Amino acid sequence: MAAVAGRTYPAVTFEIESERVADFARAIGADPADGVPPTFAATYALEATAPQLFGDEEAAIDFARLLHAEQEFEWHRHPRVGETVTSRGRVASDTSRRGMRFVSFETDTTDEDGSPVSRSRALFVIRS
Amino acid sequence: MNPIHLNDEFARSVGLPSLIAHGMLQMGIAATVAGEAAGGPGRLRRLSVRFAGMVLPGDTVTFGAEPAGEGKLDVKAVNQRGEAVLTKAVAEYAGQPHSAGERDVGRGA
Repeated sequence: MAAVAGRTYPAVTFEIESERVADFARAIGADPADGVPPTFAATYALEATAPQLFGDEEAAIDFARLLHAEQEFEWHRHPRVGETVTSRGRVASDTSRRGMRFVSFETDTTDEDGSPVSRSRALFVIRS
Repeated sequence: MNPIHLNDEFARSVGLPSLIAHGMLQMGIAATVAGEAAGGPGRLRRLSVRFAGMVLPGDTVTFGAEPAGEGKLDVKAVNQRGEAVLTKAVAEYAGQPHSAGERDVGRGA
């Protein structure tokens, strides 16, 4: 089992599209007129970058044994429809205890000016 | 996306009772409820949850957000058996939304 704490992945750009925002808002009972739902960060931050971790052979994440155990989002601001944001993922920690592997994956998202938008922290638990 | 959220047959093949809801559904609904309690979703500054239990098709989950100090909310998500499907669920919000056009329902702190 490879510990890959500190590993960083290339930046991913993501356009905040109105149709996806509206679909997402409907799914969570939000009013699309309220703008981009806060947890749309699940797409522009987490879903944009987590596949880099899952596809990293050296990280050797066994997707079939993976649990998304915890999730946190911190927002500096909420993006607007039509913006393009940039998300960068990194492995904040990678530890094993009692047969379980705990991978903390953080994603920082910035706007077109490079100003911070949000930080996502996902805790993945991989059963052995 | 993990096929356990989309494919019932696959989910059963890995030992689950059926396909299960994506945790982001529970977290998203929690954010909607917390946003209303905060006076608008644009005010949310932080939301943190632990995915404590599976949610299956047909389950009924009741969400709530209670004031827990200045700018803070405790968020609950409990299924029809009284089991918490989210734990350690807390939200923080600012007094003002960051942009115009947010719905202010006048609730919360």
